[in-house]
Amino acid sequence: MGLKITRGSYAKPGTSLAFDTGSWRIQRPEHRHTAAPCHAACPAGEDAQAWLALVEEQRFREAWETIVAVNPLPAITGRVCHHPCETACNRGDYDTPIAIHHVERFLGDMALQEGWDYPLAPVLDTAPEIAVVGAGPAGCSAAWHLRRRGFRVQLLEATPEAGGLLRSAIPPYRLPALVAEQEIGRLMQTGIRLMTGQRLGRDFSLDELRDGFAGVFLGIGTQQGREWSIDSATPSDLYVGLALLKRWMDVGAIPTWSSVAIVGAGNTAIDLARVLKHAGVPEVHIISHKAIPGPDVPAADAMPAIGREIEQGLEEGVIIHEHRGVQRLILRGEQVLGVELVHMKKLSDASGRLKRVAFEGTESILHVDQVIPAIGQVVDPEGVHTLLDNRAYFQVDEWGQFPERPWLFTGGDARGDRGTVSEAIGDGRRAAMAIEHFVHSASDSPQDNPGEPIGVDQLNLNYYEPGPRPAVAVLEVSGRDGYAEVEGGLERRQAVAEGERCFSCGDCLTCDNCWTLCPDMAVLKTREPTTDGSYYVFDYGYCKGCGLCANECPCGYIVMRDEV
Amino acid sequence: MKQALEGSQAIARAVSLCRPQVVSAYPITPQTHIVENLSRLVADGVLDCELVSVESEFSAASVALGAVAAGSRAYTASSSQGILLMSEVLFNISGLRIPLVMTCANRALAAPLSIWNDQQDSMAVRDAGWIQLYCADNQEAVDMTIQAYRIAERCELPVMVCVDGFTLTHTLEVLDLPDQQLVDAFLPAFHFDRKLDPANPISVGTLVSPEFFTEARYDHHQALLQSAEIIEQTRREWQDMTGRDTGGLLGVAGDADARVGVLVLGSITGTLQEAMEASTDTEPACLITLRAFRPFPEQALRDACSGLERLIVLERALSPGAGGIVGSEVRAALSSLDRPPRVFNFSVGLGGRDVPLETWSRALAAVAGNAGAGFDMLDLEPSRLPQEAL
Repeated sequence: MGLKITRGSYAKPGTSLAFDTGSWRIQRPEHRHTAAPCHAACPAGEDAQAWLALVEEQRFREAWETIVAVNPLPAITGRVCHHPCETACNRGDYDTPIAIHHVERFLGDMALQEGWDYPLAPVLDTAPEIAVVGAGPAGCSAAWHLRRRGFRVQLLEATPEAGGLLRSAIPPYRLPALVAEQEIGRLMQTGIRLMTGQRLGRDFSLDELRDGFAGVFLGIGTQQGREWSIDSATPSDLYVGLALLKRWMDVGAIPTWSSVAIVGAGNTAIDLARVLKHAGVPEVHIISHKAIPGPDVPAADAMPAIGREIEQGLEEGVIIHEHRGVQRLILRGEQVLGVELVHMKKLSDASGRLKRVAFEGTESILHVDQVIPAIGQVVDPEGVHTLLDNRAYFQVDEWGQFPERPWLFTGGDARGDRGTVSEAIGDGRRAAMAIEHFVHSASDSPQDNPGEPIGVDQLNLNYYEPGPRPAVAVLEVSGRDGYAEVEGGLERRQAVAEGERCFSCGDCLTCDNCWTLCPDMAVLKTREPTTDGSYYVFDYGYCKGCGLCANECPCGYIVMRDEV
Repeated sequence: MKQALEGSQAIARAVSLCRPQVVSAYPITPQTHIVENLSRLVADGVLDCELVSVESEFSAASVALGAVAAGSRAYTASSSQGILLMSEVLFNISGLRIPLVMTCANRALAAPLSIWNDQQDSMAVRDAGWIQLYCADNQEAVDMTIQAYRIAERCELPVMVCVDGFTLTHTLEVLDLPDQQLVDAFLPAFHFDRKLDPANPISVGTLVSPEFFTEARYDHHQALLQSAEIIEQTRREWQDMTGRDTGGLLGVAGDADARVGVLVLGSITGTLQEAMEASTDTEPACLITLRAFRPFPEQALRDACSGLERLIVLERALSPGAGGIVGSEVRAALSSLDRPPRVFNFSVGLGGRDVPLETWSRALAAVAGNAGAGFDMLDLEPSRLPQEAL
């Protein structure tokens, strides 16, 4: 044998360093970035986790640049978005979700205040040129992302200014006119060539665009109110919801009836109801097939309007009739005297399909002197009827590409399956990616899938401390005049605190847990970020694969992978 | 130079003279004054060392272990429950052959709770593999603390210097503190061969398989047995330098021809010596003071007791259900003599009960009839017992 015990039984490095404990391993820890739920839920495609991490470090400009690489209008979306990111936020299962939209708005406002320029390389005169029709959210986003990808962009807008609904239909108490003007104005300074007063079908045709440009994006929205009548009857002085809202935005005046019924459950219905209320209409009713959103209301049965706006409308005295439909118009001549309402609910029929059913005997009369349908908009067929083929919306793939017209793309409201600013911005970005692929005849297909988001069960919540979601100032109901912004913004320290509160789901928090807790000292810390962006590497020569690091990683950034 | 110092202060000054580089401790009565005084010496710039305030005795011992493993001379002190909380680390320190010195300010163990002196705490860790030295007075506490570093570092074994709580730690005594030059000459700078060094890495505290465990234990046991000679050698060297005969394995005083001996540990030595010297009406007896309990000085004990007919062992601890701890060991050690003395074993002074001068005559009277050589509590007051025990 010859082996002897040492005094005090110490061991030479023969066992601690040259002993290759890594050979015992049957599972290996690996760093794996997984999309945070906020990222997967964002219709625009923003990775809020990534920019919240920068906000935590007070690297505000980099945070803003991270946003605008995806969404060029954070000061706007930070105000108008319905923020499904916050509904998805894993922190909601712990205390309260991160106030993502408030932080986005904080960054957008800071960028406007500081006059930060969009990070861009100059565009070449020889670069292919793309036409973008319509300067609403979808068109602006497509133009921006095409510009970022090095294309020359011609943006054609029918009205006298860029912005679309952002400037013509979203009331200033939600989005102050100055913010919209500054944000969109600055975007138009990035080398995008804007031509206003150019209407498709009147001033130019699709064929001309096809011949004159390398690719075309149609962000024309839905400019025509959906037809509405009750048993073929309509009042003679029929106003369409969105048109009325636009008129108020345009001229600042609106008829003040004594009692109004708005038919619809979307954002236009709510916005119009609140504008009427602010203008002094004593009774504003919303007739909704669906329910007011609440914790017990399934998403499919809830009004599609933004919950916060519904809530504020109710605060202001708007009366919502849930699960009601208009059964009959009560007219004197062609003048509205009232409406007959009936309970309606979706029930499954014999084949299991959901069908809206009116309950006989539940009729009631509501005396109003105007009925305004706000039941949705459809694409104005002028100039695009060949594409519509008698349908209300365009039929395209997920990238917005038209079948048999590979040079033509669309996105936003004109698709029919969208309805928010953020979705339009996401469509514009995806279409720009697809256009780049088309123009360069790339063989692979573009990729834009953050993947299955990380669940709260994959985090180790023991390492997080409870913390309050910041409160922002909200205008008293008595102070809401239709113009003054209802919600205030975050202070700098509040924004940083939200960055700190973020769980960093699926991404390294640089907390040192793995480094501190590894019993084999097989996690090494680096001075510079490693190739995966973290500051740690595994020393697989000594890692026994115990999984402690993976268990104790707060963010689910370390996963154990079988090696056998 | 002679000076009057509180025991704790004297011990702190003695520790300081040994130039420890790391002191870590957690306060507990009656040890607190020792560390307080050390802390003052550090604050005053007299002692240059790393003073580590820790959150428990477990940490205090662990920090001291680590400090010595890293090559520093270190010190800690505790008492009673603190010793128990340290006990896991105490076994590690000795098994790793870490030459640490600590003071145990002896105090009773709870329950029932007592802050007063007996020696149950150090006796509870007698098997921890440490050298245990018991001091009769504060001069011994000073001298044996300095000797302890020399013994520890020569044997690569930890030394626990036991001083009776309050009786020694909180009592003023005229004593002689050696000067720094003398201590420096007696105690060379600490050099630890096995120190942790990133340039020359070793693993300390690794797993030892059954193939080697017995050998590790044997080696440790032998080291303790051999330390007996080092303890005696150190005593002689100290005497050469200071002229004071303190330390060593055991001491004998009184009538060399006596047929009766009384064996004690710690501070009651002085009380009994005075009683012995003043006594005129008791039979002649000698007083044996056990200074080293580990290593157990079997041979020295046999030599000291060879002519005795009766030996009274007085101790301030017990093993409930068995009896005396020291007494049992003494009885076993003497059993190999041709004519071993009859051993009478008593506990005295548990939980701080005063041990008066009369203890001497009382003990001798108790064994005069040569009857009942088991274990008894000499100062028991039957009238205070609970009803059911009567």
